[in-house]
Amino acid sequence: MTRNTGLLINRRTTLLGAAGLAVAPLAAPHIARAADPIKIGLLLAKTGQIAGQTEYLANGSFLALEQRNKMVMGQPAELVWLDEPSPQGAVQNMQKLVQENKVCAVLGGALSSNALGEEAKAAELKVPFVCDNAAATEITGKNCNRYTFRLNTPVAVQQSMLAPYALKYGKKWYHITASYAFGQDILKSSRALLKAAGGTEVGVDEVPLNTADFSSFILKIRQAKPDVVVGGLSAGDLTTFLKQWNELGMKGKIPFVEIAIGDTDIWGVGPEAANGTFTKLWDAFNPHNTPEEKAFADAYLKKHGKPPADKAWMGWITARSLFESIDAAKSTDADKIIDALEHWKAPAGDSSYSYRKFDHQMLVRNLAVQVKDKITDKWNFFDVKATLPENPADLDKVFGTQEEVGCKMG
Amino acid sequence: MLDILLSQTASGLVLGGLYVLIAIGLSIIFGLLGIVNFAHGAFFTLGAYLALTLVQLFGWPAVILSPVIVGGIGMLAERLLISRLYDKEPLISLIVTFALALLIEAAVRLIYGGIGQPFSPPPFLAGVFLWGPVLITKYRVAVLATTAAVLLLLWLFLEKTRFGRILRAGSRDPEMVGLLGINLPRVLTWVFGLGCAISGIAGLLAAPLWTVTPAMATNAIMPAFVVVAIGGLGSFAGAVIAGLLVGVVVALTIQFWPEASGAVMYLFMALMLLIRPRGLLGERWERFE
Repeated sequence: MTRNTGLLINRRTTLLGAAGLAVAPLAAPHIARAADPIKIGLLLAKTGQIAGQTEYLANGSFLALEQRNKMVMGQPAELVWLDEPSPQGAVQNMQKLVQENKVCAVLGGALSSNALGEEAKAAELKVPFVCDNAAATEITGKNCNRYTFRLNTPVAVQQSMLAPYALKYGKKWYHITASYAFGQDILKSSRALLKAAGGTEVGVDEVPLNTADFSSFILKIRQAKPDVVVGGLSAGDLTTFLKQWNELGMKGKIPFVEIAIGDTDIWGVGPEAANGTFTKLWDAFNPHNTPEEKAFADAYLKKHGKPPADKAWMGWITARSLFESIDAAKSTDADKIIDALEHWKAPAGDSSYSYRKFDHQMLVRNLAVQVKDKITDKWNFFDVKATLPENPADLDKVFGTQEEVGCKMG
Repeated sequence: MLDILLSQTASGLVLGGLYVLIAIGLSIIFGLLGIVNFAHGAFFTLGAYLALTLVQLFGWPAVILSPVIVGGIGMLAERLLISRLYDKEPLISLIVTFALALLIEAAVRLIYGGIGQPFSPPPFLAGVFLWGPVLITKYRVAVLATTAAVLLLLWLFLEKTRFGRILRAGSRDPEMVGLLGINLPRVLTWVFGLGCAISGIAGLLAAPLWTVTPAMATNAIMPAFVVVAIGGLGSFAGAVIAGLLVGVVVALTIQFWPEASGAVMYLFMALMLLIRPRGLLGERWERFE
């Protein structure tokens, strides 16, 4: 009688099989990775005054991914969204995204004060960071680094585009700006432009963030009798200011101009109180939008039941630039993604959207917009007065030379 | 210069009036319940959003329901949540009320979205008054008048009614009030509701002036705590004086040193607490000594 050794053979087979399975990922890493989703970080505020804007930035980025059937580089992809509650909190969450969530790149940066910290962290962690909202000049200026790309037109450039509209009203300007990076940048740029134009600053107020009552500031402006008020307030503060500007009877009496208005800011003001001349990057109702942008606007309307705010487009175009660059790189390697972002291009009517190689700043023509005299559609507040610069060939010049910008990536 | 000083003072009084309304509710709740209600600002937000909805649905007269509903929600919150905290560590009540604030803000965000909602003063209160050198809008005069009326009614309620006497007695010696056969838990529910309703009034008054967003309480709750600290914990008159003082000091600082306007109330509070640690009209409260 012989013992059945089948069990022994089976044990050996089992052990060999298990060992084979264990070493398989080492032998063919691409097989294992194919099943893992590509993770991309989204670093945008979830609470606070800026949350109204970030909701739309996030909506745009998520829609960009959905339009690709949630696939990047032929693999499933997902956005991991963490908060940016403060500059310090934003930097900590960027570290968490990279080290714990293993993202290959990060989108975000709603506020300049946050984005300045985030871009430094991106360089330290060697992860591509595409900033979708912050406008402080330094981000792609003297603080630039090779890992950071930025969509929003720098404050100094937007301010130079707006200045002719302010000068149309006169040379006595009153500045009311937020006392943080964005507002301070506006004040510095606007003062330089005013000085160059031979004008006078008849008053200035640097306002703390989250100011609830602007009536005392407005009384000061009324007393100073400027030709025009040049603003540098952001998000909820701008909304509150414009509401109270109208409430105190100043609408139509002294013109108000400001760069980088968001649709969400003006929607909160309401049709009765809204007024002013602004710059912005995109408008859902602009007839010159590209077919891709029109398709995006239609998809957004279908999904959310309202037209996309400019911030939604900003979230969409930056996410699109990153997804298409990862596709082009055929890799999640940071250096390859950076190289692809530097070569990324998308049609933009007479010109194209692209990041400049020397400072990673996206070249985008801005819109000069003015609040309509009569608002009949609760989402459509603006008349587009001009696309700036008027000649697309001037784009590079308007955004400044490498020496003027002061970006040295090393 | 006199004209601008008078205009700034009038503007500061309106802002101060709103601070007073928020602070009074906070002070009453702390005085009787011993709870530092971090969710107080969220009830202010609720007041604003309910006013917005009521105006859209039924027109301006319906806004009077906003503080009533906020008070009702406050009473429900007290029954379900706050009443379980009375015999717990103060830290627990801080955490729970903070969580309640986040919950209410998230609910508002879910229903209305995160962006600001347009809301202007009623058409019959549009325009400005120019009284000699003083410029003030009609709506702000209405806010000031409403604030004064609410404070007067509240004072009469606390001083002249039986319920008000129970309230004041309960805030000093709840055990004795209980021993006298008064149903203190029911009183506490009403007090919490009253405090929330007053905060709701502040919310509905502020809504046409401020940006109506889920985070709008941020601009209200810290000044309210400052006003309570300056006025003296549990002091009705102290909160009124401190609120108006803070409003005027902030307005005048904007005129002369705008960069400091955000910090001046905290500096004012620090100075006051150095000179009078119990606040302007604060008294010795055996319960909290």
